[in-house]
Amino acid sequence: MPELRKDILTGRWVIISTERSKRPDDFRPAPGAEPRPESLSFCPFCPGNETKTPPEIMALRQPGTKRDQPGWQVRVVPNKFPALQPGPPPPKKTNGIFQWMDGVGVHEVIIETPEHHQEMSELQLEHLAEVLKIYRFRIREIEEQYHHQYVQVFKNKGKEAGASLSHPHSQIIATPIVPKRIKEEIYGAERLYRSHFRECAFCRMLREEISSGQRLVYKNDRFVVLTPFASRFPFEMVVIPQKHSAFYREISDEDCLALAEALKQSLLRLKLQLGDPAFNLVLHHSPNPQVSDKAWPGIENYYHWHIEIMPILTKVAGFELGTGFYINPVPPEVAAEYLRNTSISQR
Amino acid sequence: MKKILLVEDEKALSLLYEEELEREGYEVVVAYDAESALEQIRKEKFDLIITDIRMPGRDGIELIASIMGLRKDIPIIINTAYQSYKDDFMTWAADAYLIKSSSLDELKNKIKELLEKSSS
Repeated sequence: MPELRKDILTGRWVIISTERSKRPDDFRPAPGAEPRPESLSFCPFCPGNETKTPPEIMALRQPGTKRDQPGWQVRVVPNKFPALQPGPPPPKKTNGIFQWMDGVGVHEVIIETPEHHQEMSELQLEHLAEVLKIYRFRIREIEEQYHHQYVQVFKNKGKEAGASLSHPHSQIIATPIVPKRIKEEIYGAERLYRSHFRECAFCRMLREEISSGQRLVYKNDRFVVLTPFASRFPFEMVVIPQKHSAFYREISDEDCLALAEALKQSLLRLKLQLGDPAFNLVLHHSPNPQVSDKAWPGIENYYHWHIEIMPILTKVAGFELGTGFYINPVPPEVAAEYLRNTSISQR
Repeated sequence: MKKILLVEDEKALSLLYEEELEREGYEVVVAYDAESALEQIRKEKFDLIITDIRMPGRDGIELIASIMGLRKDIPIIINTAYQSYKDDFMTWAADAYLIKSSSLDELKNKIKELLEKSSS
Protein backbone atom coordinates (compact mmCIF):
# COMPACT_ATOMS: atom_id res chain seq x y z
CA MET A 1 0.00 0.00 0.00
CA PRO A 2 1.46 3.39 -0.97
CA GLU A 3 1.45 6.24 1.56
CA LEU A 4 0.31 9.83 1.38
CA ARG A 5 2.72 12.05 3.31
CA LYS A 6 2.16 15.70 4.19
CA ASP A 7 4.76 18.42 3.96
CA ILE A 8 3.64 20.34 7.05
CA LEU A 9 5.31 23.59 5.92
CA THR A 10 3.61 23.89 2.54
CA GLY A 11 0.55 21.69 3.13
CA ARG A 12 1.44 19.68 0.03
CA TRP A 13 0.75 15.94 0.03
CA VAL A 14 3.03 13.48 -1.76
CA ILE A 15 2.30 9.91 -2.81
CA ILE A 16 5.19 7.76 -1.61
CA SER A 17 5.45 4.29 -3.00
CA THR A 18 6.45 2.10 -0.11
CA GLU A 19 7.04 -1.13 -2.01
CA ARG A 20 10.49 -2.59 -1.75
CA SER A 21 12.97 -1.08 -4.07
CA LYS A 22 16.50 -2.11 -4.75
CA ARG A 23 19.10 0.63 -4.38
CA PRO A 24 19.25 4.41 -4.68
CA ASP A 25 20.83 3.97 -8.11
CA ASP A 26 17.56 2.48 -9.41
CA PHE A 27 16.90 5.60 -11.42
CA ARG A 28 20.28 5.70 -13.14
CA PRO A 29 19.87 4.76 -16.80
CA ALA A 30 21.07 1.22 -17.56
CA PRO A 31 24.48 1.30 -19.25
CA GLY A 32 24.09 1.26 -23.01
CA ALA A 33 20.31 1.33 -22.75
CA GLU A 34 18.65 2.74 -25.85
CA PRO A 35 15.31 4.52 -25.65
CA ARG A 36 12.52 2.09 -26.43
CA PRO A 37 11.00 2.49 -29.93
CA GLU A 38 7.82 4.59 -29.94
CA SER A 39 5.69 1.95 -31.61
CA LEU A 40 5.89 -1.59 -30.34
CA SER A 41 3.89 -4.29 -32.06
CA PHE A 42 1.55 -4.76 -29.11
CA CYS A 43 -0.84 -2.37 -27.36
CA PRO A 44 -2.84 -3.44 -24.28
CA PHE A 45 -5.50 -0.81 -25.09
CA CYS A 46 -6.26 -2.04 -28.63
CA PRO A 47 -9.37 -4.14 -29.36
CA GLY A 48 -8.62 -7.85 -29.13
CA ASN A 49 -6.35 -7.35 -26.12
CA GLU A 50 -9.11 -6.79 -23.56
CA THR A 51 -7.86 -9.71 -21.43
CA LYS A 52 -4.66 -7.77 -20.78
CA THR A 53 -6.56 -5.05 -18.90
CA PRO A 54 -8.47 -5.52 -15.64
CA PRO A 55 -12.22 -6.18 -16.21
CA GLU A 56 -13.93 -3.06 -17.57
CA ILE A 57 -15.81 -0.72 -15.24
CA MET A 58 -17.96 0.52 -18.10
CA ALA A 59 -17.85 0.87 -21.86
CA LEU A 60 -19.73 2.51 -24.67
CA ARG A 61 -20.40 -0.50 -26.89
CA GLN A 62 -22.04 -1.47 -30.13
CA PRO A 63 -25.30 -3.32 -29.43
CA GLY A 64 -24.85 -7.08 -29.10
CA THR A 65 -21.17 -6.95 -28.12
CA LYS A 66 -20.01 -8.45 -24.87
CA ARG A 67 -18.17 -7.03 -21.88
CA ASP A 68 -14.37 -7.19 -22.13
CA GLN A 69 -14.53 -8.03 -25.78
CA PRO A 70 -14.11 -5.92 -28.95
CA GLY A 71 -17.00 -3.77 -30.13
CA TRP A 72 -16.47 -0.84 -27.76
CA GLN A 73 -16.06 2.82 -28.64
CA VAL A 74 -14.88 4.09 -25.25
CA ARG A 75 -13.74 1.80 -22.44
CA VAL A 76 -13.01 2.48 -18.75
CA VAL A 77 -10.82 0.06 -16.77
CA PRO A 78 -9.10 0.21 -13.39
CA ASN A 79 -5.36 0.85 -13.60
CA LYS A 80 -3.70 -2.58 -13.44
CA PHE A 81 -0.84 -1.18 -11.34
CA PRO A 82 -2.49 1.81 -9.60
CA ALA A 83 -0.80 4.76 -7.89
CA LEU A 84 -3.47 4.60 -5.16
CA GLN A 85 -5.39 1.50 -4.15
CA PRO A 86 -9.08 1.03 -3.32
CA GLY A 87 -9.90 0.73 0.35
CA PRO A 88 -11.84 2.13 3.29
CA PRO A 89 -11.41 5.77 4.38
CA PRO A 90 -7.81 6.06 5.58
CA PRO A 91 -7.31 7.58 9.03
CA LYS A 92 -4.67 10.31 9.34
CA LYS A 93 -1.67 9.05 11.28
CA THR A 94 0.89 11.14 13.13
CA ASN A 95 4.32 10.61 14.62
CA GLY A 96 5.61 13.77 16.29
CA ILE A 97 5.23 16.51 13.70
CA PHE A 98 4.87 14.12 10.76
CA GLN A 99 1.50 13.26 9.20
CA TRP A 100 0.61 10.53 6.75
CA MET A 101 -2.14 8.14 5.70
CA ASP A 102 -2.53 4.99 3.64
CA GLY A 103 -2.58 5.63 -0.09
CA VAL A 104 -6.24 4.81 -0.62
CA GLY A 105 -8.02 6.06 -3.71
CA VAL A 106 -9.15 5.30 -7.23
CA HIS A 107 -7.01 5.04 -10.36
CA GLU A 108 -8.81 4.43 -13.65
CA VAL A 109 -7.93 4.62 -17.33
CA ILE A 110 -10.37 5.84 -19.98
CA ILE A 111 -9.46 4.42 -23.39
CA GLU A 112 -10.92 7.10 -25.63
CA THR A 113 -11.13 5.18 -28.90
CA PRO A 114 -10.47 1.69 -30.26
CA GLU A 115 -8.24 3.27 -32.95
CA HIS A 116 -4.62 3.28 -31.82
CA HIS A 117 -3.56 6.23 -33.97
CA GLN A 118 -6.68 8.39 -33.67
CA GLU A 119 -5.80 11.30 -31.40
CA MET A 120 -8.32 13.12 -29.23
CA SER A 121 -8.23 16.04 -31.67
CA GLU A 122 -9.24 13.67 -34.50
CA LEU A 123 -12.28 12.16 -32.79
CA GLN A 124 -15.69 12.97 -34.24
CA LEU A 125 -17.42 15.63 -32.12
CA GLU A 126 -20.15 13.22 -30.99
CA HIS A 127 -17.53 10.64 -29.98
CA LEU A 128 -15.50 13.20 -28.02
CA ALA A 129 -18.72 14.36 -26.35
CA GLU A 130 -19.28 10.76 -25.22
CA VAL A 131 -15.79 10.70 -23.66
CA LEU A 132 -16.67 13.92 -21.80
CA LYS A 133 -19.97 12.41 -20.62
CA ILE A 134 -18.02 9.43 -19.31
CA TYR A 135 -15.79 11.81 -17.32
CA ARG A 136 -19.01 13.19 -15.79
CA PHE A 137 -20.40 9.72 -15.06
CA ARG A 138 -17.19 8.47 -13.43
CA ILE A 139 -16.88 11.64 -11.30
CA ARG A 140 -20.46 11.22 -10.05
CA GLU A 141 -19.95 7.56 -9.23
CA ILE A 142 -16.54 7.96 -7.57
CA GLU A 143 -17.81 10.92 -5.50
CA GLU A 144 -20.45 8.69 -3.91
CA GLN A 145 -17.69 7.68 -1.49
CA TYR A 146 -17.04 10.56 0.91
CA HIS A 147 -13.33 9.78 1.23
CA HIS A 148 -12.78 10.27 -2.51
CA GLN A 149 -12.41 13.96 -1.76
CA TYR A 150 -11.06 15.08 -5.11
CA VAL A 151 -11.44 13.38 -8.49
CA GLN A 152 -8.68 14.45 -10.84
CA VAL A 153 -9.29 13.81 -14.54
CA PHE A 154 -6.20 14.26 -16.68
CA LYS A 155 -4.59 13.35 -19.96
CA ASN A 156 -0.91 12.99 -20.79
CA LYS A 157 -0.21 13.01 -24.50
CA GLY A 158 3.29 12.31 -25.79
CA LYS A 159 6.36 10.94 -24.06
CA GLU A 160 7.51 14.35 -22.79
CA ALA A 161 4.15 14.74 -21.05
CA GLY A 162 4.51 11.41 -19.26
CA ALA A 163 2.53 9.14 -21.61
CA SER A 164 3.99 5.68 -22.05
CA LEU A 165 1.57 4.63 -24.77
CA SER A 166 0.34 6.59 -27.77
CA HIS A 167 -3.11 4.93 -27.84
CA PRO A 168 -5.38 7.84 -26.79
CA HIS A 169 -6.37 7.62 -23.15
CA SER A 170 -7.16 9.77 -20.14
CA GLN A 171 -6.82 8.89 -16.48
CA ILE A 172 -8.71 9.49 -13.27
CA ILE A 173 -7.09 9.52 -9.85
CA ALA A 174 -9.32 10.16 -6.83
CA THR A 175 -7.45 11.20 -3.70
CA PRO A 176 -8.51 11.05 -0.02
CA ILE A 177 -7.51 14.71 0.41
CA VAL A 178 -8.13 17.85 -1.63
CA PRO A 179 -4.80 18.64 -3.36
CA LYS A 180 -3.01 21.88 -2.48
CA ARG A 181 -3.22 23.28 -6.01
CA ILE A 182 -7.01 22.94 -6.02
CA LYS A 183 -7.30 24.44 -2.54
CA GLU A 184 -5.19 27.43 -3.62
CA GLU A 185 -7.52 28.08 -6.56
CA ILE A 186 -10.62 27.74 -4.39
CA TYR A 187 -9.28 30.02 -1.64
CA GLY A 188 -8.20 32.57 -4.26
CA ALA A 189 -11.64 32.54 -5.87
CA GLU A 190 -13.34 32.78 -2.46
CA ARG A 191 -11.18 35.74 -1.39
CA LEU A 192 -11.90 37.66 -4.61
CA TYR A 193 -15.60 36.85 -4.35
CA ARG A 194 -15.99 37.95 -0.74
CA SER A 195 -13.69 40.97 -0.60
CA HIS A 196 -13.56 42.36 -4.14
CA PHE A 197 -15.92 41.34 -6.91
CA ARG A 198 -19.03 39.96 -5.18
CA GLU A 199 -19.25 37.68 -8.17
CA CYS A 200 -17.26 34.72 -9.48
CA ALA A 201 -13.76 35.89 -10.47
CA PHE A 202 -13.75 33.49 -13.43
CA CYS A 203 -17.00 35.00 -14.75
CA ARG A 204 -15.59 38.51 -14.34
CA MET A 205 -12.37 37.52 -16.11
CA LEU A 206 -14.34 35.89 -18.94
CA ARG A 207 -16.28 39.11 -19.56
CA GLU A 208 -13.10 41.16 -19.70
CA GLU A 209 -11.28 38.65 -21.90
CA ILE A 210 -14.16 38.41 -24.36
CA SER A 211 -14.43 42.17 -24.48
CA SER A 212 -10.67 42.71 -25.08
CA GLY A 213 -10.20 39.67 -27.32
CA GLN A 214 -6.42 39.88 -26.90
CA ARG A 215 -6.02 36.43 -25.44
CA LEU A 216 -9.03 34.82 -27.05
CA VAL A 217 -8.25 31.68 -29.06
CA TYR A 218 -11.72 30.33 -29.78
CA LYS A 219 -15.29 30.89 -28.68
CA ASN A 220 -18.57 29.14 -29.30
CA ASP A 221 -21.91 29.95 -27.71
CA ARG A 222 -21.12 27.95 -24.55
CA PHE A 223 -17.30 27.83 -24.13
CA VAL A 224 -14.31 30.12 -24.42
CA VAL A 225 -10.68 29.14 -25.01
CA LEU A 226 -8.07 31.62 -23.72
CA THR A 227 -4.35 31.88 -23.15
CA PRO A 228 -4.35 32.94 -19.46
CA PHE A 229 -3.09 36.45 -18.64
CA ALA A 230 -0.33 34.99 -16.44
CA SER A 231 0.31 31.84 -18.48
CA ARG A 232 3.09 29.72 -16.95
CA PHE A 233 3.92 27.90 -20.17
CA PRO A 234 4.13 28.97 -23.82
CA PHE A 235 0.79 28.37 -25.58
CA GLU A 236 -0.92 27.29 -22.35
CA MET A 237 -4.70 27.37 -22.84
CA VAL A 238 -7.73 27.26 -20.61
CA VAL A 239 -11.19 26.13 -21.70
CA ILE A 240 -13.94 27.75 -19.61
CA PRO A 241 -17.72 27.36 -19.73
CA GLN A 242 -19.50 30.70 -20.20
CA LYS A 243 -22.30 29.55 -17.93
CA HIS A 244 -21.20 29.69 -14.31
CA SER A 245 -20.77 26.28 -12.67
CA ALA A 246 -18.43 24.92 -10.02
CA PHE A 247 -19.29 21.29 -10.69
CA TYR A 248 -18.27 19.43 -13.82
CA ARG A 249 -20.55 16.63 -12.56
CA GLU A 250 -23.50 18.88 -13.51
CA ILE A 251 -22.51 19.49 -17.15
CA SER A 252 -25.41 18.90 -19.57
CA ASP A 253 -25.26 16.66 -22.65
CA GLU A 254 -25.56 19.76 -24.87
CA ASP A 255 -22.63 21.37 -23.06
CA CYS A 256 -20.58 18.18 -23.53
CA LEU A 257 -21.02 18.59 -27.29
CA ALA A 258 -20.05 22.26 -27.18
CA LEU A 259 -17.08 21.42 -24.93
CA ALA A 260 -16.02 18.73 -27.41
CA GLU A 261 -16.00 21.38 -30.12
CA ALA A 262 -13.93 23.80 -27.98
CA LEU A 263 -11.46 21.06 -27.00
CA LYS A 264 -11.10 19.84 -30.56
CA GLN A 265 -10.50 23.38 -31.74
CA SER A 266 -7.84 23.92 -29.06
CA LEU A 267 -6.00 20.66 -29.72
CA LEU A 268 -6.14 21.00 -33.51
CA ARG A 269 -4.67 24.49 -33.28
CA LEU A 270 -1.83 23.20 -31.12
CA LYS A 271 -1.19 20.38 -33.54
CA LEU A 272 -1.31 22.47 -36.70
CA GLN A 273 0.63 25.47 -35.42
CA LEU A 274 3.21 23.81 -33.18
CA GLY A 275 3.87 20.46 -34.85
CA ASP A 276 1.86 18.21 -32.57
CA PRO A 277 3.63 18.85 -29.24
CA ALA A 278 3.21 16.68 -26.16
CA PHE A 279 0.75 18.16 -23.68
CA ASN A 280 -0.95 17.66 -20.35
CA LEU A 281 -4.64 18.35 -20.00
CA VAL A 282 -6.24 18.67 -16.55
CA LEU A 283 -9.79 19.24 -15.39
CA HIS A 284 -10.17 21.51 -12.39
CA HIS A 285 -13.56 21.36 -10.72
CA SER A 286 -15.07 21.52 -7.25
CA PRO A 287 -14.06 18.80 -4.77
CA ASN A 288 -16.59 16.12 -3.87
CA PRO A 289 -19.75 18.05 -2.86
CA GLN A 290 -19.95 15.97 0.34
CA VAL A 291 -16.65 17.64 1.29
CA SER A 292 -16.96 21.08 -0.30
CA ASP A 293 -20.40 21.74 1.22
CA LYS A 294 -18.73 21.66 4.64
CA ALA A 295 -15.23 22.97 3.88
CA TRP A 296 -16.19 25.73 1.43
CA PRO A 297 -19.83 26.74 1.98
CA GLY A 298 -21.00 28.79 -0.99
CA ILE A 299 -18.39 27.32 -3.36
CA GLU A 300 -21.10 27.00 -6.01
CA ASN A 301 -21.13 30.81 -6.18
CA TYR A 302 -17.43 31.54 -6.52
CA TYR A 303 -15.65 28.55 -8.07
CA HIS A 304 -15.87 27.81 -11.80
CA TRP A 305 -14.70 24.55 -13.38
CA HIS A 306 -12.32 24.68 -16.32
CA ILE A 307 -9.85 22.63 -18.33
CA GLU A 308 -6.17 23.57 -18.54
CA ILE A 309 -4.07 22.50 -21.53
CA MET A 310 -0.31 22.73 -21.05
CA PRO A 311 1.88 21.99 -24.09
CA ILE A 312 5.36 20.73 -23.22
CA LEU A 313 7.59 23.14 -25.13
CA THR A 314 10.07 24.16 -22.43
CA LYS A 315 11.63 22.39 -19.46
CA VAL A 316 10.79 23.22 -15.88
CA ALA A 317 14.22 23.88 -14.33
CA GLY A 318 15.91 25.03 -11.13
CA PHE A 319 14.47 28.52 -10.89
CA GLU A 320 10.90 27.30 -11.42
CA LEU A 321 11.36 24.42 -8.97
CA GLY A 322 13.08 26.65 -6.41
CA THR A 323 10.67 29.56 -6.47
CA GLY A 324 7.43 28.46 -8.09
CA PHE A 325 8.05 31.32 -10.57
CA TYR A 326 7.71 30.36 -14.20
CA ILE A 327 9.57 32.05 -17.03
CA ASN A 328 7.34 32.06 -20.09
CA PRO A 329 9.19 33.10 -23.26
CA VAL A 330 5.96 33.60 -25.28
CA PRO A 331 3.57 36.39 -24.20
CA PRO A 332 0.04 34.92 -24.02
CA GLU A 333 -1.23 37.68 -26.35
CA VAL A 334 1.23 36.53 -29.04
CA ALA A 335 0.37 32.87 -28.41
CA ALA A 336 -3.36 33.61 -28.65
CA GLU A 337 -2.97 35.48 -31.92
CA TYR A 338 -0.90 32.66 -33.39
CA LEU A 339 -3.40 30.00 -32.29
CA ARG A 340 -6.43 32.09 -33.25
CA ASN A 341 -5.19 32.55 -36.80
CA THR A 342 -5.22 28.85 -37.58
CA SER A 343 -7.31 27.73 -40.48
CA ILE A 344 -9.40 24.78 -39.37
CA SER A 345 -12.10 22.99 -41.25
CA GLN A 346 -14.46 21.36 -38.76
CA ARG A 347 -14.51 17.51 -38.37
CA MET B 1 5.99 -30.97 -15.22
CA LYS B 2 5.32 -27.26 -15.87
CA LYS B 3 8.00 -25.51 -17.87
CA ILE B 4 9.10 -21.97 -16.99
CA LEU B 5 11.27 -19.63 -19.05
CA LEU B 6 13.33 -17.38 -16.79
CA VAL B 7 14.79 -14.28 -18.46
CA GLU B 8 17.41 -12.75 -16.17
CA ASP B 9 20.73 -11.21 -17.12
CA GLU B 10 22.36 -11.44 -13.67
CA LYS B 11 23.90 -14.91 -13.68
CA ALA B 12 24.14 -15.34 -9.89
CA LEU B 13 20.50 -14.36 -9.51
CA SER B 14 19.31 -16.61 -12.34
CA LEU B 15 21.14 -19.54 -10.73
CA LEU B 16 19.40 -18.86 -7.43
CA TYR B 17 15.96 -18.62 -9.08
CA GLU B 18 16.61 -21.71 -11.19
CA GLU B 19 17.55 -23.82 -8.16
CA GLU B 20 14.66 -22.58 -6.04
CA LEU B 21 12.07 -23.09 -8.77
CA GLU B 22 13.39 -26.54 -9.69
CA ARG B 23 13.07 -27.43 -6.02
CA GLU B 24 9.40 -26.43 -6.33
CA GLY B 25 9.03 -29.02 -9.08
CA TYR B 26 9.23 -26.84 -12.20
CA GLU B 27 11.42 -27.35 -15.23
CA VAL B 28 13.34 -24.11 -15.71
CA VAL B 29 15.01 -22.84 -18.86
CA VAL B 30 17.17 -19.73 -18.47
CA ALA B 31 17.75 -17.01 -21.07
CA TYR B 32 20.15 -14.16 -20.34
CA ASP B 33 18.71 -11.64 -22.79
CA ALA B 34 15.59 -10.89 -24.85
CA GLU B 35 16.92 -12.27 -28.12
CA SER B 36 17.77 -15.70 -26.73
CA ALA B 37 14.46 -15.71 -24.83
CA LEU B 38 12.57 -15.21 -28.10
CA GLU B 39 14.58 -17.98 -29.73
CA GLN B 40 13.59 -20.33 -26.89
CA ILE B 41 9.92 -19.33 -27.17
CA ARG B 42 9.94 -20.07 -30.92
CA LYS B 43 11.52 -23.49 -30.27
CA GLU B 44 9.72 -24.70 -27.14
CA LYS B 45 6.35 -24.44 -25.44
CA PHE B 46 6.43 -22.77 -22.02
CA ASP B 47 3.71 -22.65 -19.39
CA LEU B 48 4.93 -19.38 -17.87
CA ILE B 49 7.58 -16.70 -18.43
CA ILE B 50 9.37 -14.66 -15.77
CA THR B 51 11.29 -11.69 -17.07
CA ASP B 52 13.51 -8.96 -15.73
CA ILE B 53 13.11 -5.49 -17.33
CA ARG B 54 16.58 -3.96 -17.43
CA MET B 55 18.78 -6.17 -19.55
CA PRO B 56 21.47 -5.52 -22.14
CA GLY B 57 19.99 -5.05 -25.62
CA ARG B 58 16.20 -5.08 -25.81
CA ASP B 59 14.58 -4.64 -22.41
CA GLY B 60 11.94 -6.83 -20.79
CA ILE B 61 9.07 -4.61 -21.95
CA GLU B 62 10.15 -4.91 -25.59
CA LEU B 63 10.49 -8.64 -25.04
CA ILE B 64 6.92 -8.86 -23.73
CA ALA B 65 5.63 -6.90 -26.74
CA SER B 66 7.40 -9.38 -29.05
CA ILE B 67 5.99 -12.35 -27.11
CA MET B 68 2.50 -10.91 -27.60
CA GLY B 69 3.12 -11.16 -31.35
CA LEU B 70 3.82 -14.87 -30.96
CA ARG B 71 1.52 -15.96 -28.13
CA LYS B 72 -0.89 -13.91 -26.05
CA ASP B 73 -2.08 -16.69 -23.76
CA ILE B 74 1.14 -17.42 -21.92
CA PRO B 75 1.23 -16.02 -18.36
CA ILE B 76 4.06 -13.52 -17.83
CA ILE B 77 5.51 -12.22 -14.58
CA ILE B 78 7.67 -9.11 -14.57
CA ASN B 79 10.26 -9.54 -11.84
CA THR B 80 12.29 -6.37 -11.54
CA ALA B 81 14.15 -4.27 -9.01
CA TYR B 82 12.52 -1.16 -10.43
CA GLN B 83 9.23 0.23 -9.26
CA SER B 84 9.23 3.03 -11.82
CA TYR B 85 8.22 0.91 -14.83
CA LYS B 86 4.77 0.45 -13.29
CA ASP B 87 3.79 3.74 -14.94
CA ASP B 88 4.47 2.21 -18.36
CA PHE B 89 1.19 0.85 -19.72
CA MET B 90 3.12 -1.67 -21.81
CA THR B 91 3.66 -3.61 -18.57
CA TRP B 92 -0.08 -4.39 -18.69
CA ALA B 93 0.79 -7.12 -21.17
CA ALA B 94 2.19 -9.00 -18.16
CA ASP B 95 -0.05 -10.72 -15.64
CA ALA B 96 1.93 -9.62 -12.60
CA TYR B 97 4.55 -7.05 -11.68
CA LEU B 98 6.76 -8.06 -8.78
CA ILE B 99 9.60 -6.17 -7.14
CA LYS B 100 12.66 -8.38 -6.59
CA SER B 101 13.11 -9.44 -3.02
CA SER B 102 15.50 -11.62 -1.04
CA SER B 103 12.52 -13.88 -0.28
CA LEU B 104 11.12 -15.76 -3.25
CA ASP B 105 7.79 -16.56 -1.54
CA GLU B 106 5.82 -13.88 -3.39
CA LEU B 107 7.22 -15.05 -6.73
CA LYS B 108 6.49 -18.70 -5.96
CA ASN B 109 2.92 -17.89 -4.88
CA LYS B 110 2.31 -15.84 -8.02
CA ILE B 111 3.66 -18.61 -10.26
CA LYS B 112 1.33 -21.12 -8.57
CA GLU B 113 -1.66 -18.78 -8.85
CA LEU B 114 -1.11 -18.01 -12.54
CA LEU B 115 -0.46 -21.64 -13.51
CA GLU B 116 -3.65 -22.73 -11.71
CA LYS B 117 -5.59 -19.97 -13.45
CA SER B 118 -4.26 -20.82 -16.90
CA SER B 119 -4.99 -24.53 -16.54
CA SER B 120 -8.54 -23.99 -15.21
